[in-house]
Amino acid sequence: MTLITILGLVLIMIGLWGMLTQKNIIKIIIGFSIMDTGVHLIMVSIGYLKDRTAPIIDSAVDQANAVNTVVDPIPSALVLTAIVIGLAVTALMLSYAIKLYEKKGTLDINEFKELKW
Amino acid sequence: MVNPIYIFILALGAGFLLTLFDKAGRKVSLTIFYAVLAAMVAISAQWLIALLGGSETAMIFTAGFKPPFSINLQMGLEEAIFTLAVNMLGLLSGLYLIKKFNATKVNAMVLFLMMIMGINGLIMTRDMFNLFVFMEITSIATFAMIGIDRDIKTLSAGFKYMIASGIASVLFLIGTIYLYRFSGMLHIDSMAVALDMASSQATLLAVFILLMAIVIELKPFPANGWALDVYEAVDSGVVAVIAAGSSAGMLFALYKITPLLNETLLLTVAGIGITTFVASNLMGLMQKNAKRLLGYSSIGQIGLVAGVFAMLVYLGYPINGKMVMLIAGGLFINHFVAKAGLFWLAGILNKENTEDWGALRKKPIYLFAFGAFILALVGLPPFPSFFAKWQMVMIFAKDNQFLVIAFILLGTLLEAVYLFRWLGKILESEVKEKIKVSFAQGLPVIVATLAVLGLGIYSATIVPGAGSLNIFYLPLLLIAALFVLDFLPVWVKNTLVILLMGFYTWQLLPGLEGYRFLFGVIFLVGGVILLIPGYAFKGKRVGFYPFAVMMYTGLAGLLIAENTLQFFTAWELMTLGSYFLIIRGKKAKPHALSYMLFSLGGAYAMLSGLGLFFSVNGNNLDLALLSSITESTSIIYILLVIGFLTKLASMGLHIWLPGAHGEAETDVSPMVSAILLKAGMFGLVVVMSAIQNPMIGNVSINYVLSWLGAITVFGGNLMAIYQEDAKRLLAYSSVGNLGYVLFGLTLMTHLGWLTSITYALNHFLFKALLFLAIGGVVWRVKTKNMYEMGGLIKRMPISFISVLIGIIALSGVPPLSGFAGKWLTYNVLIEKGWVLQGVVLIIGGLIAFLYCFRLIHTIFLGQLKDNHRKVKEAPLPILIPQVIFMFAIMFFSAYPNMVLRPVGDFLIKYFPQGAINWQNGVAFTAFGHWDGLGVLMITGVVFMAVFGWLLLTNRKTQKVGQFNIVYAAERPSRPELTHVGYNFFAHYRKALGVLSKPYAEKFWDGLSELFHSTADFIRKLYTGNGQTYLVHIIVFILVVYAFAMGG
Repeated sequence: MTLITILGLVLIMIGLWGMLTQKNIIKIIIGFSIMDTGVHLIMVSIGYLKDRTAPIIDSAVDQANAVNTVVDPIPSALVLTAIVIGLAVTALMLSYAIKLYEKKGTLDINEFKELKW
Repeated sequence: MVNPIYIFILALGAGFLLTLFDKAGRKVSLTIFYAVLAAMVAISAQWLIALLGGSETAMIFTAGFKPPFSINLQMGLEEAIFTLAVNMLGLLSGLYLIKKFNATKVNAMVLFLMMIMGINGLIMTRDMFNLFVFMEITSIATFAMIGIDRDIKTLSAGFKYMIASGIASVLFLIGTIYLYRFSGMLHIDSMAVALDMASSQATLLAVFILLMAIVIELKPFPANGWALDVYEAVDSGVVAVIAAGSSAGMLFALYKITPLLNETLLLTVAGIGITTFVASNLMGLMQKNAKRLLGYSSIGQIGLVAGVFAMLVYLGYPINGKMVMLIAGGLFINHFVAKAGLFWLAGILNKENTEDWGALRKKPIYLFAFGAFILALVGLPPFPSFFAKWQMVMIFAKDNQFLVIAFILLGTLLEAVYLFRWLGKILESEVKEKIKVSFAQGLPVIVATLAVLGLGIYSATIVPGAGSLNIFYLPLLLIAALFVLDFLPVWVKNTLVILLMGFYTWQLLPGLEGYRFLFGVIFLVGGVILLIPGYAFKGKRVGFYPFAVMMYTGLAGLLIAENTLQFFTAWELMTLGSYFLIIRGKKAKPHALSYMLFSLGGAYAMLSGLGLFFSVNGNNLDLALLSSITESTSIIYILLVIGFLTKLASMGLHIWLPGAHGEAETDVSPMVSAILLKAGMFGLVVVMSAIQNPMIGNVSINYVLSWLGAITVFGGNLMAIYQEDAKRLLAYSSVGNLGYVLFGLTLMTHLGWLTSITYALNHFLFKALLFLAIGGVVWRVKTKNMYEMGGLIKRMPISFISVLIGIIALSGVPPLSGFAGKWLTYNVLIEKGWVLQGVVLIIGGLIAFLYCFRLIHTIFLGQLKDNHRKVKEAPLPILIPQVIFMFAIMFFSAYPNMVLRPVGDFLIKYFPQGAINWQNGVAFTAFGHWDGLGVLMITGVVFMAVFGWLLLTNRKTQKVGQFNIVYAAERPSRPELTHVGYNFFAHYRKALGVLSKPYAEKFWDGLSELFHSTADFIRKLYTGNGQTYLVHIIVFILVVYAFAMGG
């Protein structure tokens, strides 16, 4: 496990903690975002190989030996997608927060318990 | 053929361009929207047809590389079936939502397309990360779609959904990236191969995390509060897509990652799924909100499908093999169609409370649809889940998974409780308002109804042993025709059914042998005779004939069933038909419910027994082999007998009977009492003749059952005497009568069986006669309370004679047929030496006199009441069968040998010892002899002599008016004052009250209360707080981790 992976895990835990303890919906969303960032960090750390270069085939990289000289590009590609999706989800959550606030005038998650049992 | 990738191209293209087209007008954008949805259906349909025709699974590659270096899609048979189902759902739900799409911005259409496309992607992609992308596309589109409704409930439900789904996607990403790390692949199939070699702890953990992501999306108990809120709050058209479509996609995702799972994880999924099924159906018991109730049912069903699927894979059935398709696939498609249909109906009715759904009664088509969906969810024939459940029990029994069977059947029974309660409420409620159903909202429901029926019939053709089900084809066709012809007047339908059933009986009966022939006479000839009273009804009698035919189909099916599948199908058809007959009674709803639940419970015991039989019988369904099994005979015997005893209403299992038989319609009561009860007996005869004298340790099961029979006689008769309601009195009397039948069978001797079978025939005759006669009286006087009647002998003389003959036959005094039974019983008791049971039986028989007396005294003798002075004799159609039954009783009494002899002859096959010796119609046993005709003639002569003497001496009698009496120095003014009918046997109640307390009712009520309060307790988990739901999810994952990975 690299330092970055551990950092990612820590971020996930912090985010989860925030989601579980904060009552304000905005703060819960922030918690979610932090957690998401942690996941992204872990993903990037998986692709990283020590002492290698960026996976761009140009004059700086020997094409024949590229496999052994560049880092794994796939996690980087994946993380881009994941970031985009995370952005969309966060944006949607925030717009929900706005609507919820408009309806009730509060952002306390304990106030939204119309449906139960 | 069109490349399946066009599903995505069309949806995405339209999604981007719809906004543009919308500028040209809403009509243009709507047309394109529906055209795209229809095209998606067409593409998956043509693939399904091609694949069924033998085409190979299509692989669609992207980016010019082959997997594992690129994302690829797959279109095989499973994918084609799933995408077709989802796209049909999309088209129909889209149609259903047309009003909404017209009223809101164009975005709604775009989002809807993205939802459907996302699910298609979930199904088709073979790439792990792509799976994540499609999961998110579906989720985001769904969240946004939910957000269109600006209702506070909907918004807060949507937010809770987002939090849960956010956790799931985080887990999915972590799992995926680590699996990529360990395998170097994202292509699911290659990943499974690559990981096989390195199943280290870390890999396992990654798989576990990935699995949890999918499991959370499948709404496991208790981490599913958010889903319930979504089901309750979101618009019906959208929620139909979420409940059926999104779940389909996630189930398919589970299906895809199954190769990664080891045995522990498979078992984990099975455990989670089945627990969810039982728990959510338990909690559903307390639910009144219609859509939330459907939510509980949905969650349960999804759990069932996932759990059963994982179990099958665990047991080694190939993942794309026939069994998985038939069982898990059948359960899934059944839920898919039925639940979508129910959510659509919920939107049409727009009633929150399940008790307000009565408006459906004004719309027979939609009522039929509702009924079909409910029956499909409970798993009754002819729906796909019935065959899936049947095969599942067979397979699990074969692999000794009885605990799994027990839990699944328990969950199904719990689901049946609330679904049938709902159905009963609808059928019972007063309709105040009318609903309007637009074409766009009605069509999807009708399509779903036809689909669930069609899929059921298809399942019936692929289940192992399907060929033998052809015996039901013609009757089912007739039932379908009767549904269609239900607009005809009652006499037309009645004539039609009598003719067809008569013809069928004519064809079938001569081919039956032994006891089957005798039961054939009771079931079918009796059935035809008891249809005659139908002419007394006016109007259309909507819904009577299809179900009457269904019941008789089931009964006939029992007679000719050669394998267990036929037998069980027939049994369930009979139960279903009779349930809908009983529920027609005005106050019969709660009793019909308990009838159904006891029947289902019994049927499940029977099903388990048949499953066990299947497994010890070398996976053979042949019913005739029941006599040759050597293993587990006692358990099979007990399970099957429990099933039959619920129909026979033995003490303890009888509580449904009095209400169900007492509150049924005039001609239904004799049908269910005189005929239907014998189905339970028929089952007992089948089992007991095959498995003789099974033991548990040193105890003979039949000895225990003989006590049950004796107690049933005593208890049934005792409770009968306290009844004020004439029909309930007869119903309790049936409980007691059938106790004799059970007792006779348990003796396991020639005479015992002879007694039992002749008693059954006798009970058929006199109980049909009595129920018809009393039913005719009730028909005229409009009350069932005996104390409100009296003196009806003058107004209804034929009914009086019927009742008189009936009770003489019932009470077993000479000269009528009942005496045959009694005489035989005493012979048997002496032969067997079971003195104690004998005493109980004799006391029970004496008690029977008490209630028989009441029928004559309180109804026909005594004083005519003022409001009955102009009462007419019962209608002719009700009297005709009575005359037939009276003649039959007379004939049977005069020539008992005509029946006893042939019955005895075939009984020799099973019990060669101790047969009756016949000499010119006189029966000889070891203990004495009996001459039926002689007794009848002597009694007749004595009767005539006394009668003649009375006529001679009483010539000078003076007739007096009703009130021409002295009554404690006061002149009575009303007939009620001279004729005591209420609480007639109060003194006996004082003396024997302890014995007649409703212990059984108390027990079952207590059990029901226990289940309901547990349900109420557990569902308090769902506090409605999004954060609590998050805690549930985290705790759920940790607990599952401890279970699955800890050990």
